[in-house]
Amino acid sequence: MSERNRDGQPDPKLLELLVCPLTKSQLIYDRENNELISKVAKLAFPIREGIPIMLPSEAREIE
Amino acid sequence: MSRSQHELVNAQFGPQANAYVASPVHATGADLERIGALAAANRPVRALDLGTGGGHVAYVLAPHAGTVVACDLSSDMVAAVEREAVRRSLQNVTGTVAPAERLPFSDAEFDLAASRFSAHHWADVARGLRETRRVLKAGGTAVFVDVVGPPVAALDSHLQAVELLRDPSHVRDYRPSEWTAMLEEAGFRINEVQTWKLRMEFASWTTRIATPPASVAAIRSLQTGGAATTTAYFAIEPDGSFEIDVAWFGATAI
Repeated sequence: MSERNRDGQPDPKLLELLVCPLTKSQLIYDRENNELISKVAKLAFPIREGIPIMLPSEAREIE
Repeated sequence: MSRSQHELVNAQFGPQANAYVASPVHATGADLERIGALAAANRPVRALDLGTGGGHVAYVLAPHAGTVVACDLSSDMVAAVEREAVRRSLQNVTGTVAPAERLPFSDAEFDLAASRFSAHHWADVARGLRETRRVLKAGGTAVFVDVVGPPVAALDSHLQAVELLRDPSHVRDYRPSEWTAMLEEAGFRINEVQTWKLRMEFASWTTRIATPPASVAAIRSLQTGGAATTTAYFAIEPDGSFEIDVAWFGATAI
């Protein structure tokens, strides 16, 4: 976990569990932008210091 | 400026994250040991700590669980909990920022959920409890520990007033009867309700959350100017230290 936090990558075990908080649909991990994409909700949830921020208010709207 | 409940919680707890990791009131307690014992008996594959705060529930669950997900509205809190888990060599604690009312998990992912001293901050506690039930497997174990409101209206008002002055992100300390009704409505069977008194040392109670001096003075004014029944019920001491009611709700997801 300390390793994960150093490079800002999220915990793979957590990624298996997380779904979109609004639609409960699957999320896609965008490695390049370090975001979790909900295609259904059209939102990108940020990951900061390896911690997924699953708040719609913090998410970026996407096309 | 008006702020959302999320912003209030973040503003209150973000700068104080380390104080909550270190706080003896939060880091110790027979109830915390019981949560650990419950996990030791249940051996959950996945356990959820809702409103992890200083992470103390997550730390007692971790030795007995496959994975512990520590959830909080404050990203600073979650970061502090992950650092402390590493320091304690608990490699299976992983953190995420999410509100209890809108959990980012599919149905029935967890075997055990515990929440300690958190629900009084939730914007919509009934919804948070329904979400907790949703992410638990049927037959899964849930434990909620929180400060509870006294049975008399005047005492209840005193408690909520001093709590709100101390911490603007305080929502409500619910009465045990409200708790059991909400848990049943959310789809839990209640196995046990236990209440006890917890002494809050005034200086650390207010310093921990950086209560401003004007609010500290207002709390003291309520404490010294109140009815004798209030002073007696809360066992208010000359320095403002007092006793609160805390309850344990043990439940099973139906």
